[in-house]
Amino acid sequence: MFPPAFNYHRAKSLKEAASMLAQAGQEAKLLAGGQSLIPLMKLRFASPKHLVDLNFIPRLSYIKKYKDELHFGALTRHSEIENSATAAAVPILHDCAAGIADVQIRNRGTLGGSLAEADPSGDWAVVLSTLETSLSCVGQKGERRIPLHDFITDAYTTVLAPDEVVREISVKIPPQGSGGAYLAFKRAAPVYPTASVAVQVTLEGDVCQEVAIRMGCVGLTPIRASQAEGVLRGASLGEKAIEIAAEAARSEADPQPDMRGSAEYKRMLVGVLMKRATYAAVRRARGERVDVSHLYA
Amino acid sequence: MEPKNWVGKPLPRKEENRLLRGRGKFADDIKMREMLYLRFVRSPYAHARLLHLKLSSAEALSGVICTLSGREIEPLTQPFIEIGPEPCAKIRDYPLAIDKVRYQGEPVAAIVAESPQIADDAAELVEVEYDPLEPVLDAEQALSDGSILHESAGTNRVWNGIFEYGDLESAFRDAAYVVTIDRMHFHRFSSTPLENNVVIAQWDSKDDHLYYSCNNSFPSFAIQFLAAHLQLHIDKIRVQTADIGGSFGIKITNYPQMAVCALASKKAGGRPIKWVETRSEHMTSSAHGNERTFRDTRVALDKDGVITAISSRHIDDCGAYPRYEPLGCVIWSQVLPGVYRVKNLRIDFTQAVTNKCPVGPNRGYSRMQHLWFLERVTDICAHQLGIAPDQMRLRNYIRPEEFPYTTPNGCVYDSGNYPRMLALAKDLLDWDSWTKKRHEARSQGRWVGMGVGTTLDSGTNNFGQSQIVNPDAPFSGNSQGANCKLDIYGEVVVAVGSCPQGQGHETTAAQVVADVLNISPELVSVRTGFDTERNVHTGFSGTYASQFAVSGLSAVHGAAQKLRAEMRRLAAFVLKTNEDDVEFGAGPQGPELRAKSTGQAISYWGLANIVNVNSALLPPELHDITLNCRFVWRAPFKVPDKQKKFGNLTLTYAAQLHAAVVEIERDTFVPRILAYVAVDDCGMVINPPIVEGQVYGATAHGIGAALMENCVYDAAGNMLTSTFSDYTPITALNMPRIQYGHIETPSPHSYSGAKGMGEGGAAPLHTISAALQDALSGEGIVIADSFNNGDTLFRAIVGKQIYQAAHIVSLERRS
Repeated sequence: MFPPAFNYHRAKSLKEAASMLAQAGQEAKLLAGGQSLIPLMKLRFASPKHLVDLNFIPRLSYIKKYKDELHFGALTRHSEIENSATAAAVPILHDCAAGIADVQIRNRGTLGGSLAEADPSGDWAVVLSTLETSLSCVGQKGERRIPLHDFITDAYTTVLAPDEVVREISVKIPPQGSGGAYLAFKRAAPVYPTASVAVQVTLEGDVCQEVAIRMGCVGLTPIRASQAEGVLRGASLGEKAIEIAAEAARSEADPQPDMRGSAEYKRMLVGVLMKRATYAAVRRARGERVDVSHLYA
Repeated sequence: MEPKNWVGKPLPRKEENRLLRGRGKFADDIKMREMLYLRFVRSPYAHARLLHLKLSSAEALSGVICTLSGREIEPLTQPFIEIGPEPCAKIRDYPLAIDKVRYQGEPVAAIVAESPQIADDAAELVEVEYDPLEPVLDAEQALSDGSILHESAGTNRVWNGIFEYGDLESAFRDAAYVVTIDRMHFHRFSSTPLENNVVIAQWDSKDDHLYYSCNNSFPSFAIQFLAAHLQLHIDKIRVQTADIGGSFGIKITNYPQMAVCALASKKAGGRPIKWVETRSEHMTSSAHGNERTFRDTRVALDKDGVITAISSRHIDDCGAYPRYEPLGCVIWSQVLPGVYRVKNLRIDFTQAVTNKCPVGPNRGYSRMQHLWFLERVTDICAHQLGIAPDQMRLRNYIRPEEFPYTTPNGCVYDSGNYPRMLALAKDLLDWDSWTKKRHEARSQGRWVGMGVGTTLDSGTNNFGQSQIVNPDAPFSGNSQGANCKLDIYGEVVVAVGSCPQGQGHETTAAQVVADVLNISPELVSVRTGFDTERNVHTGFSGTYASQFAVSGLSAVHGAAQKLRAEMRRLAAFVLKTNEDDVEFGAGPQGPELRAKSTGQAISYWGLANIVNVNSALLPPELHDITLNCRFVWRAPFKVPDKQKKFGNLTLTYAAQLHAAVVEIERDTFVPRILAYVAVDDCGMVINPPIVEGQVYGATAHGIGAALMENCVYDAAGNMLTSTFSDYTPITALNMPRIQYGHIETPSPHSYSGAKGMGEGGAAPLHTISAALQDALSGEGIVIADSFNNGDTLFRAIVGKQIYQAAHIVSLERRS
């Protein structure tokens, strides 16, 4: 199938993109990597009248370290993060980038696009919400910085104004003694996960000082496993604590049955993923080099 | 020159150069002048009355040439032929819905436009008003006739028949054990050929000639349906196929779309129409494989675990329209007892329509469902009786010395050696060491199981079995045609009525002719694809049902022998010697025929020259020589006994025996294949890499079906697996390493000893089910469905919602 005819606008700057959006109104969509939008248009599930292409805006794709933050241009491709030595400083970012779909999709799909799409099954929002992340967004009125936890409000919904575009994603580099891991369960490589869990822990000795746990695909937005975090915070991270936390995370998930699995199965997977991710995160927090891979059916 | 045997050699495929370099010619590659593009408007509902269809807005769009609706084509056509008797015969099947839609994705209108983009835009402008009806999604539920799909038939039952052989009463009376199994289910899946359905049709208004360029895989069947439907002289329909990107049987039933394209071309003043199916259309509305439920199974066994009788009730789900059905209601009985010696069987077989995509013959068609059933029965009985599954099979297998083996329903298994296949599979798997490893793994609480699955790929079917489902069906036997000629400059040219989809027919046909004429296969030019106007096809021509090595190559062999005899006669005349003195060989200028006595020779060019352009040299007594020889091979079949449902239904029985070790992960419940062996027996192998390739392909298809591929509908009849990201077809990444082995038990029924093959896709379903059973027997689980993933096993083991042995299976000991 072919998408219905649309007007194509090539923005030369973010400012121009914002004004193009303002002019076109609700009928416009931004084209970044196009890995979700184009298939939806092809199936005619989405039929925007205007496409504003961001791909020709200069200096929108970069990975930089500045003080204790990593800065990603909104148009940075998943594969660029996957292969970046700078991003490797935060292993959970590599877990995420390297596990998205397949090579073709990673070469096109962008970090900014993934966050702004706010798909309940998306990977990046789950991972980045375990870290201190904010988005710098440009609109006609100027630029503002939005913390990620305020950015996504519902499935496919963000606080972006109709004329706003994500410019940069800033991630605070976790301190020494902190480690994270992201694991998803997938039925096949190129499909969205059935469930996913991101864990970031900060240790002092064997005791968990701080912990952030987010679950993907089991709610309308990434779900914070607050009770599980409560179990682990201040605890020494042994098998028992992790088991109790996993049980808490299972109860905090809100999965729906669909093609990818029954609600019970997804809930069970959340526990498995949480445990495996926590063990990897703890080892990384201790300074070990740990490679993780998603679980494939 | 010494004759070389090309048959049996690992000759690289002649097709390779074209296909691997991206130079194949597929239907969608073909462009015709003034071509238009067709797009179907499809029903979003599974079951609804079609109240109103408004096409005017679509027609008003610039670039739209015309539209078609069911109401418009109804008076122009006859409903498609129904193969079954009443009530099936009362079903009125048109290629566009008239007053009702019966599955999600059923076409309700067609749009014809100057470009595919315009056709897509126009389709959005079609207004359809539906009145939703209660959908029927389960075949057993359908049989209660609460909501009827086809009012004209008055019932959702398509067909019912009882297949009973032997003496069940005595067998059950004398049994040492009786095992009952309440319900098992074979899931709905399909094939996902790389190339979707494609049709180009042109109805020439000058002479009412209808031309097709398409990828239908059984064109001689399609034209019989189309001629009756379109009320055209069958000779006016020309069907051509070129390269086809896989069919697996699914492309047999794209004739309804072919009909719409023809009618659209006629309405568009004879301009050619192209329809290219999208992947989502293919998933929702081309054809799926048959789904089947097995009810109330009772198995009688003697004290040694030998199965003496099986009684069961089978309900087949054929989706919304029967189309190729109810042939599947008899085709399974080609393998009635499977690979086992059981003599007493009673199968009560019913088929029903449901509000799902119509089924079509899908690799392993109808037999695989039955064979899976028999394998589960055997396997479950073994576990119930505490007999090792491999020993259970050995006790029940038909013995090598019993071939040719006549089954209780009169089928003749030509040859085979199942114990030898099992021994080879165990050897390749390293069965004994895995047995030890399994023991260790279990002591650590791991779920590791070993499974064996034996399946039959019955090929070259006797169409007389259609008379078992419909006594008035005008079909029996089987045949294939081929032509072998010397063209004017002496080229050897072969045409055959097959319709290859990647099976290497050009190569294997060349090997056969090369042996007959004692030349190199490189010198044999084999026509690509199918064409009715080559005049080689018979009413059975096409590529389906595992038969090319038998019917196709026998036809080619026969044609080549006719040509050889003519060449020899002509050469004897030219070389002034007798025929016995003429030998086939190669000289300095290529292939030639030589008089052994004088050394005089004549080249192929010389012979072709005399016959074609120098015919004054030919004496009247040689005027019958044309060097253009058509041969029709006919399978040696009789019409089966319709009452007793008895007779030989298939000519060859290739077998596949797979063995696997599977582990179910304790935390995710995902089944993982730890080791996999595929042993094949398709008689004498014509071309080993082609056979091996088909074994790998079929194995992948089966592993995908067992673990990943499932056509899922929700309660409203929405298909939830309409894209690849939902259906997750198997890819190379999901494949375990396959250890391949083969044995050769020559078929006495083909000239080369070969058997048809390619449909061994069922073996992984049997094998994986058996391995899971072995791993989980200790958990009180019975594997009662052919599709199993982590979710299924979690719901069985933890949720205890399904597969509970206590609810499904019972064992009665009579000793």
